[in-house]
Amino acid sequence: MITQDLISFFLFSLLYLTVTIPLVLAYRVTKVINFTVANYITYGAYTAVLLDYYMRSSFGHNSLLLTVLSSFAVTGLIAVLSNLAVFKPLAEMRVKGDVLMIASMGLWIVLKYVLYIVSDIASSAWRTNLVSYSQIHYDDISLLTVRAGLVGVQQSLVVFPLLALASMLILYLVLNATRVGRAVLAVADNSVLASLSGIAVGRVVSLTWFLTAGLTSLAGVMWTTYSGAITPEVGDSLILQVFTIAFIGGLSSLTRTAAGALLISGVENFGTDLLSTYLGLPTSIKPMLTFTVLLATLIVSPPLGVAGGVPYRFTRGARR
Amino acid sequence: MIDVLGFLITLTTYIGIYLVLSLTLTLEVSSGITNFGKVAFYGLGAYTGALIGTYLPLAITGSRASPFDVNGIQLLYTISKSNPVLDLSVFLLSLAAGFAVSALFGLLLTYPIHRVGSALVGFTLLSTGEVLRLFYLNTEPLGESKGFMGIPNPFAWLPQARGAEALYLIIVWCFVGLTYFIVSRIMNSPLGRILKGMRDDELVALYAGWPTPLIKSKVLALTSGLTGVAGVLWAYYFTSINPNMFTPSLTFNIWAMVILGGIDSIVGGVLGTVLLASVDYAARFVIPFIGTTLVTPDYLRWIIVGLVMLVVLLKKPEGLAPRRGGVSKL
Repeated sequence: MITQDLISFFLFSLLYLTVTIPLVLAYRVTKVINFTVANYITYGAYTAVLLDYYMRSSFGHNSLLLTVLSSFAVTGLIAVLSNLAVFKPLAEMRVKGDVLMIASMGLWIVLKYVLYIVSDIASSAWRTNLVSYSQIHYDDISLLTVRAGLVGVQQSLVVFPLLALASMLILYLVLNATRVGRAVLAVADNSVLASLSGIAVGRVVSLTWFLTAGLTSLAGVMWTTYSGAITPEVGDSLILQVFTIAFIGGLSSLTRTAAGALLISGVENFGTDLLSTYLGLPTSIKPMLTFTVLLATLIVSPPLGVAGGVPYRFTRGARR
Repeated sequence: MIDVLGFLITLTTYIGIYLVLSLTLTLEVSSGITNFGKVAFYGLGAYTGALIGTYLPLAITGSRASPFDVNGIQLLYTISKSNPVLDLSVFLLSLAAGFAVSALFGLLLTYPIHRVGSALVGFTLLSTGEVLRLFYLNTEPLGESKGFMGIPNPFAWLPQARGAEALYLIIVWCFVGLTYFIVSRIMNSPLGRILKGMRDDELVALYAGWPTPLIKSKVLALTSGLTGVAGVLWAYYFTSINPNMFTPSLTFNIWAMVILGGIDSIVGGVLGTVLLASVDYAARFVIPFIGTTLVTPDYLRWIIVGLVMLVVLLKKPEGLAPRRGGVSKL
């Protein structure tokens, strides 16, 4: 029982890290509370699913590397297009942050049901069920595990650390070792100052959309090696945890976000297990625990200054 | 032969319930509360109503039947047919309880969200709705995924079914009128101007001496209570509810209505609701006749809802009927 908990704690921490670190970076650059991250995860997973079915039926093999590259490209392009079509025009109209968030909600529904339609059409064209797809095995990972002498190890145990590490490494290298990465950080800190010092803010924002969405889609690819039934609801089912973690980090601090990922993963895996063992509560209490952490975060350390927020207490404020 | 009168009665009842939701959302939006959790309060009201409407009649008549099996549902039907006083008083009690429970829930929820910005408020309310839905889905006394099925119609004792439908329609529209009165009175009063100021810049309103979190909590309590009553009305109208009715999609539907008509304009909200709810209902009516197609029509319906939000925000942000000069009249 405890080893099982440890394993899922480990896997989910990595999954949450892969989603939330790019999310926080994206918020700091684009200033959009972006609910379409749910779509990025789902599109990542479904690029993997479609590719897996196509590769298996045509060549009999499937490769993780190819999957990761195509998921990254597809999701990144969707993010860049949605920026050009929706968020950039809205930002040019100088609307409030609320409107950007509402627009991201609209985009979320559109993208979600477009994916449903795509998977329906692909299902009927290929005469198979893609709306609930089984776990994917990648041949290059099998080869890798056999070479390393780890026969019989679940693929998720290899793929999760591999992709999470790759994601962190790419982010670290791009941000710290390249000119454009420094420009991204400059825009994140102060976009007006950045544009005054000659940085093409528009292009940097587009690049950030591409990079962060692509990295988020890796979480979807990770999910395909873990879940027994991949459905178009993958991203939606993770959104509560993902935003709770981002709010723990105040949508600004990367270290606090990482700590939040560990906390939520721990609460979900150990907390649920403890409560069901000692108090006999059902395991369906899991989302309620996360929700409790969210409320506690908002009360104890509210992320003030994020899209408004006032320093006010009920007990000490002005009263009429 | 299609029953035209029946269709019209159902359509207007449907629009009426949606109008309560969109009117309250208009008030919330115009006071700076980005409520992405309409469905939380709506569902809470519906479940409170269903809980009282099924367990209470069975308990009063001393039956031990469960409201989830065939005997219990049959018994509930018989009670509602033969005992008008009990049937109506259970309905009225449900309305009051739906208001009280939802309003209290809204009031309690303002404590965690009173200091944070609107994005965080929106997300917290959205996840409240989802958490509540999962709670209904996994709680045995609430019927789990099947939900409640034998909620008695408050006018089941009338001899003609059409009369019961018409009476129910009148009750729904009386409540719509009440909601309209409350919302328009608040928005066109000095309080409405404070709310507008709060939405535009909360910090300025705070330093002008208005206790913005307290005002916000009162507004959220009132609107949640009214939304809860809409939930009760839905439960007794449809006579069966299940957790799948209360997904976040419903919230987006209402947001699309309000955005289409014009955010913070009452007339616009009404117009948007009538338009979208009619299309929505017509789609529900027509879709079963189409049969199986390659693309599920329901998905297209949702894509249209999302596109309506995006296109209006981008091309005509003030909506079809914008609010003029802070005073709006029908």
